[in-house]
Order: sequence, then C-alpha cells, then structure tokens
Amino acid sequence: MKTALMIAILVCANSAGDVLLARGMREVGTVPFFSPRELYRATCKTLRNGRFLASIFFMTVYFAGFLSLLSWADLSFVFPAMTLAYVVSTLAAKFILKETISLHRWAGTLFVCLGVALVSRP
Amino acid sequence: MLRRWAERTKIIALLTVAVLSQATGNVLLSQGMKRIAGESGSSLVGWASALFQAVQTPSILLGTGFLIVFFVIFATALSRADLSFVLPAISSEVIVNVAFADHFLNETVSSSRWVGSILISIGVVLVLQSAPRTFVAEDEQENIADEAGP
Repeated sequence: MKTALMIAILVCANSAGDVLLARGMREVGTVPFFSPRELYRATCKTLRNGRFLASIFFMTVYFAGFLSLLSWADLSFVFPAMTLAYVVSTLAAKFILKETISLHRWAGTLFVCLGVALVSRP
Repeated sequence: MLRRWAERTKIIALLTVAVLSQATGNVLLSQGMKRIAGESGSSLVGWASALFQAVQTPSILLGTGFLIVFFVIFATALSRADLSFVLPAISSEVIVNVAFADHFLNETVSSSRWVGSILISIGVVLVLQSAPRTFVAEDEQENIADEAGP
C-alpha cells in the first residue's frame, strides 16, 4: 500500500514537472538555435519563468522520492510501474496543454510503455 | 510544406542529440558510481565520503555535464514541439542505454531487454510519424493578434 501510494505520488510529480516545463517553455516562446543574443534573451526569460521553476521543484521531488522508494522497493518493480507516467503525461498533454493526440501517437506511447517495462525486467 | 519539413528535421536532430547526451551521461555516471560504491561503506561517513569522491571523479562530473546538456535540449525541444511527441521520442534513450550497457559496460543483456528495445523502437517510429507540433506558441499568438490589428 505504501509502495503503491509512493508510486502514485511519483507519477504525479513526474507528469506535473513535464507539463509545467512544457507550459513554461511555450510562454518563453520558440528558443532560437543560432542567434547568441536571442539565445541569451530566451535563457534569461526561462530562468525568470515561474512555471519553469515549479517544474524544477516537481522534478526534484520526483528524483528524491524515486531514490527513497528504491531503498525499500525493487527497481524491477518500480521502473515498469513508473512507465505509467508516460500515459499520465500524454493525458495531461491532451487535457491541460490542449495537444492533439493522434492514433499513431497513442499507439506509439503504449508501445514505448510496454517496451520500457520489458527492458526494466531483471 | 518545406518549412514544416525543415522544422521537423530540426526537432528530430535536436532529440537525437538529447538522447545521445542522456545515454552518455548515464553510462559515465554508472561507471563512476560503481567505482565509488566499491570503495565506500553504507554508513553515514561512507555516504559523505562517497559524495566527496563523487565531486572529484571526472566521469561523474562529465556525466552530470551531459545530463545538464540533455535537460537544456529537452527544454528547447518543448518550446518547439508537443510534450506528447517529445516524451516518447526521448524514450529511445533506453535503447541506446541497453546498447551502451552491452558494448561499453560489458553487462549481460537478456533477450527480454532486446524485445523491449524493439517495442520501444516501434513506438518511437509511430510517434515520429505524427506532426511534432499541434500548439501555437505564445509569441506566435501575439504576432497573429498584431497582424489581425485592433
């Protein structure tokens, strides 16, 4: 029960971090590749963006929680369970970030979940 | 059409560099941490000594550098493409990790890991067939509003 609750918290923290990072970067605008001045401007804007900073917080919570979870649960159980985060992040992308998720993308995400779960088996 | 193709190529190139950076960072961290774990105990003093050794180990510092590069590219990719596109595409890092573990770390890679890698490859190919971006960035929304006028 304790492990299941921790996994649920970690999946939520991971997805919250991803969604906030995506939303924050959209607020910053398209980051240019080859203009140093524009790149500097985008970096300053990113480091002042509240959602970007909140995403760092959630990713830190996820990382600390993940390390803590590994102290009592097996990696071979934790890692496949964490692939749930792909599904939760994709759902959040659809309903919060208003992205269009095509059938190809859903199928691809599910294949990736299955694949990661298999790879992380002992 | 050509512009969309060019942007798609740029995003895929960016994600390829991100995947290689993350996989290289993980291999370097793994190598460094294994060396430290062999030398330090599990007590509090052992942990403190491991941390001290970690910041002095070149492979750990280099690995951390690669992971920072990965995060910067990941954030840049998210300013240009959908989260639901970037996230599964980035997961191909797992395949590179399996190949690196087999090749550089001499770890035994089971057949279920190779099957998993094939499933991830199929998933990534399926995701890459969709349009990378279905949102309009805020700066573009402002441009559209400016062009539309008051």
